[in-house]
Amino acid sequence: MENVLNIVIAVGIMVALAVIFAFVLILCGHLFVVKRDKKIEEVQNLLAGSNCGGCGKAGCAQFAESLVKGESVVTDCNPTSVANKKKIADLLGGGEVGEETVAVVFCNGGDAAIDKFSYQGYGDCIACNSVSGGIKACPTGCIGKKSCVNVCPHDALIMNDEGYAHVIKDKCTSCGVCIETCPKIIIGRIPKKAPVYIACSLHCKGKEVKDLCTHGCIACNICVRSCPNQAITMENDLPVIDYTKCTGCMTCVQKCPTKCIKVHE
Amino acid sequence: MNFMSIISILFTAIISQNIVLSRTLGICPYLGVSKKISSATGMGFAVLFVLTISSIFCWGIYNLILVPLHITYLDTMAFILVIAGLVQLIEIVIKKVSPTLHSALGVYLPLITTNCAILGGVNTTVTANALSFLETFITCVGTGFGFLLAIVILACVRVKADNVPAPKAFKGFPLTLISAGIIALAFAGFAGVLA
Repeated sequence: MENVLNIVIAVGIMVALAVIFAFVLILCGHLFVVKRDKKIEEVQNLLAGSNCGGCGKAGCAQFAESLVKGESVVTDCNPTSVANKKKIADLLGGGEVGEETVAVVFCNGGDAAIDKFSYQGYGDCIACNSVSGGIKACPTGCIGKKSCVNVCPHDALIMNDEGYAHVIKDKCTSCGVCIETCPKIIIGRIPKKAPVYIACSLHCKGKEVKDLCTHGCIACNICVRSCPNQAITMENDLPVIDYTKCTGCMTCVQKCPTKCIKVHE
Repeated sequence: MNFMSIISILFTAIISQNIVLSRTLGICPYLGVSKKISSATGMGFAVLFVLTISSIFCWGIYNLILVPLHITYLDTMAFILVIAGLVQLIEIVIKKVSPTLHSALGVYLPLITTNCAILGGVNTTVTANALSFLETFITCVGTGFGFLLAIVILACVRVKADNVPAPKAFKGFPLTLISAGIIALAFAGFAGVLA
């Protein structure tokens, strides 16, 4: 009989404790309920949800919260489609939505760019760049040690056979993680519709470029003159394409003597 | 309860009987959340916070309910109930009262609802009958600080160790475990200082 009583006491005390805790939790749950703006959830459902961190926030949930609070603008996010951005803008009462962009590497040097020294060290581009600006003689040349490939959350960057990084257009969401990672700052954004881009970032003239890289832009002005739509201008010894005028006729791609105007694909 | 005994309790709890490095409790968060110094600090403070508060409640429940009814064999079960309930309660309350504290500790609180560092720390301290309430409290605070110290030291070592050209087989967890072992060895040097 005493044994039974022991069991009853033990079980009873445990159940009583559990019930007390349950009631205290329920009570506190009601007392301390935190009201969350319903808009935040709606906005978060419209965002791309890749949690890439390109906007500078810890993730899409935090970005949605700061959007609703008005601390961020929807253009800070690139992976979200323009259609969804419009919906978010409508939800929050207007605002710019921008156009769809993709990241692109403004360099096609790779093996064609001359090495300053032989790097035997450890690690990626960031480590290599800390040793007198990396192995490439060209100050804006792709080092080719995969820093951008490693950070891309969407596997959109590859190291191609010629030794420089390349963005796969279909996979890129333009989140901007690679742009912030590249120690040479030669990754940028262009409109998704852009047919061509200048695959060189070196602001130098002919012979200086030739000494560094055989694929660099030598500022010969042939593209500027040959473009039938006057979409290309030369600024600081590097051509700039006005994508509102470019029709994708590919004249510049064919005429460029160093083949540093690339078809965007 | 004089000043010297407080010092000796704190020294024992933080250094010579460190919860992780000497008693090998709480290894899971110790290895899991020590990649970055900031998250290690957050986890350390969350453990300290919960350990301190749960020691008060567990001491009360043990000495006012379990001991008079002679059911002290239920201590582990009662403590896990108290700690899990308490962590949930704390999370609900600080979410409302202090959003800043919640964003700093919030991620780590659910992780330690049934953490062995907390349960082990509370269990061994509270069920040691020789300790008064104040001594139990100080021991638990010291244990929490011990965990904080251990995890921050490991995080500092790991941040450095990530950037060394180690052989591939040593990269990541092997190197972490070796670092943890060396830190534990260093702490073992304090054993017996205030025996």
